[in-house]
Amino acid sequence: MSKEISVRQICFIMLVYTAVSKFIFYPCELSFGSGRDLLFAAATDFLIQGIIIWAVSYLCSRTDKTFFELIEGTLGNITARIIYGFFALFFILCTVVPLFEQKLYVQDIFYDTVPSLTVFLPFFIFSIYAASKNFRNIGRSADICMPLFFVSMLLIFSMSLFEVEWDAFLPILKTPLKSVFGGSLTTAFRFFEPCWLLMFMGHFKYKEGDAAKITLSYAGGAAFVLTVLLIFHGVYGGAAATRQFAISKISLFFPAIDVIGRIDLISLYVLEVVMIFALVINIQLAVHCLVKCTGYDNRPVFSLIVNGLLILVIVLFNNNLSTIHKMWSNWFWIATLVFANIIPLAAWGLRRRTEQ
Amino acid sequence: MDTMFMVTLEKNIKSVKDVLTSQDIIVFEFNSQEGKKFAAVYADGLADKQLLGELVVKPLKTARENCSLEEAKGILASPEVKDGKKIKDAVNEISDGNVVLFVDGEKDFLIIGLKNPPGRSVAEPPTQVTIKGPREGFIEDIKVNLGLVRKRLKSENLKVKMLKSGKRSETAVALIYLDGVCPEGLPERIEKQLAANEIDIVPDSSYISQFISKKPRSVFKRNGTAEKPDIFCAKLCEGRVGLIVDGSPIAVTVPYMIVEDIQAGEDYYTMSYRSTIIRIMRVAALFIGLLLPALYVAAQLFKIQIIPFQLLLKISSSVSGLPLSPSVEMFLTLLVLEILNEASIRMPKYVGLALSVVGALVLGDTAVKAGVISTPAIIIIAFSAICLYTTPDLVETTTTLRWIFLIIAGSIGTFGIPLFVAYLICYLVTEQSYGVPLLAPFAPLVKNDLYDSMVKANMYSLEARPQAFGLKNKVRLKNK
Repeated sequence: MSKEISVRQICFIMLVYTAVSKFIFYPCELSFGSGRDLLFAAATDFLIQGIIIWAVSYLCSRTDKTFFELIEGTLGNITARIIYGFFALFFILCTVVPLFEQKLYVQDIFYDTVPSLTVFLPFFIFSIYAASKNFRNIGRSADICMPLFFVSMLLIFSMSLFEVEWDAFLPILKTPLKSVFGGSLTTAFRFFEPCWLLMFMGHFKYKEGDAAKITLSYAGGAAFVLTVLLIFHGVYGGAAATRQFAISKISLFFPAIDVIGRIDLISLYVLEVVMIFALVINIQLAVHCLVKCTGYDNRPVFSLIVNGLLILVIVLFNNNLSTIHKMWSNWFWIATLVFANIIPLAAWGLRRRTEQ
Repeated sequence: MDTMFMVTLEKNIKSVKDVLTSQDIIVFEFNSQEGKKFAAVYADGLADKQLLGELVVKPLKTARENCSLEEAKGILASPEVKDGKKIKDAVNEISDGNVVLFVDGEKDFLIIGLKNPPGRSVAEPPTQVTIKGPREGFIEDIKVNLGLVRKRLKSENLKVKMLKSGKRSETAVALIYLDGVCPEGLPERIEKQLAANEIDIVPDSSYISQFISKKPRSVFKRNGTAEKPDIFCAKLCEGRVGLIVDGSPIAVTVPYMIVEDIQAGEDYYTMSYRSTIIRIMRVAALFIGLLLPALYVAAQLFKIQIIPFQLLLKISSSVSGLPLSPSVEMFLTLLVLEILNEASIRMPKYVGLALSVVGALVLGDTAVKAGVISTPAIIIIAFSAICLYTTPDLVETTTTLRWIFLIIAGSIGTFGIPLFVAYLICYLVTEQSYGVPLLAPFAPLVKNDLYDSMVKANMYSLEARPQAFGLKNKVRLKNK
């Protein structure tokens, strides 16, 4: 089988896409749930996911089969197809909230007035095109996104880090544990990264030490998110819970902005390119799962179907993010628990070697 | 047409003249001292008459009676003589500028390489001017160009395969590569791709470039170019295959990576620090030139916060009262620039000078004074045009993309810009030129090749040939 994606590219995906997918609503949501101890809540989620990512990447060292082949080898082809069908549905549902958030974020940072939904719809033209591509495309796009991400984050951090009020975090760990872990639980639906790795399994050539590299990359992504959370809460304090689009708000108080204008927007626009790819990866994986599920290798058709569904959702529920968000944070964490945590761990129980 | 020649000289001449009926095909008949008849047939203006006289006619006139074709071949002072048998060969050689010599009583003939078509001498190409480094550039004569290459690459591994392209023009195409360095099978693939196309005439290498391109309809080119032999030879040494086309001063090279067009020949003749700064500046200029008009329109229409406040006040005073929307204004200004650009190339030199004055001063100044367009729009378009010419080999692509960005920014708004950038990335990351990714060494990331990409490392860091080509012979510099 041709190895379409490299470990380096998976590491970039784990670092970059993990981080940028949590820069918009996640900080304010966590600030609302866990208050000044939001870092602990986030660290808890990242720690759990990190362990699962390590487990999946370590599993990759034990077999060169894809996840589909593992299920097929143990439970049969039909079961594998059904499970992939469910994964396709899971990836589509995973995209819904980030898609709404991205739409609002775009309307906020790219436009002075709140424009209609139509300005966001061209995203789907790109999405249809990108989702019809294979893993090679996903990997190489990550190669390009990596430097874009680093340059823009460097600029944003340099404009915002010195504006942090450290006493906003004091007293530490005084928030009731129930609230801290409540914050973790309500935001758990955003942690689906182990599923990405599960899908890449068998599509890259594993070498010794790669599990550590992948896990450390995920930790790197987590470090970026934690830094943004730190700056965000440090800048806004108690008001952080009411500030959406965290990444675009943290550098607003940079003194030079008064003189030279919103130069932070340049970084945000560069980062938006990365965000677009991070948003599309779930759609790409949904298409991949549908191809496996049906055995019909026509990605453009599935890409059209998946994106058509998402367009329908976004048009029908255009102004109902709060309802959807409530539903997802209350219930969707169960699906995330099953697909992103239990199934990846259960994959260890599948037959890894072909019987002679 | 593949018929053999008849024995008498008159019949032989008639056979050729039956095919080449033009009056510029000259038949020069002469006799030796002893009365043996000869006829030199050539195309007027293509063959060197002086050499014909000195190297062919003069020695033969002193020849003894009944000298055969073989003997005549030995008498000739010309270094390039070969035998010919078929009328088709004679016609081709005459059309190509060589002289065909018939000897009375012989059915075969001699082809004498006395081709000297009109052409210019070797000069510095206008698009690749250097301060440091060689100044020789390719010209339209393939033989001169091959000589310029051979002068720099004296290796026995330098292979030149002469091909023909063009059904009627029969244009000579030289396929050049370094055996043992270039990827295995690549010259054969290019030859096959070239042979798959049949066209009447190949006037320039750009035709060949499209023939060997796997996606000729793409906005992005798939082949590199070189106008200077030093650059061409350096590309051959990196493992590329080159094509020199008769009649074209621009050589084509494959495989191609976009990063090639960010590099300039002079980068290798100056300090690496300076080259790195210049390359980063070129890339920055490329993106500024591409995106600035679109960002300006989007900022004015949708996100005014991008513009610093003081500058915004200036722009505001400049655009107040304009009858056109920012997007239409920018669209028209860009259109005027493109028209001026096109006209200034086509017009005679002196009219062109006047046109520059009319375009820049009269049109620009009066349009601003009349309140039709604003000063910032002109500044932005002018700056964008200058920026794009820092990478002249990419101008065809970037000027096209600039239009698309402008239209997107004027319709979708600011979001359209990163969205289209994402689309371009998504498209380009998997595009290839003969198996080499267009975006290498960035996607896929090839660490070794990064030393000669945006950054130009010092000479000792460039010890390996580009790994993106997947070459077997990897080392190009050994420091003993």
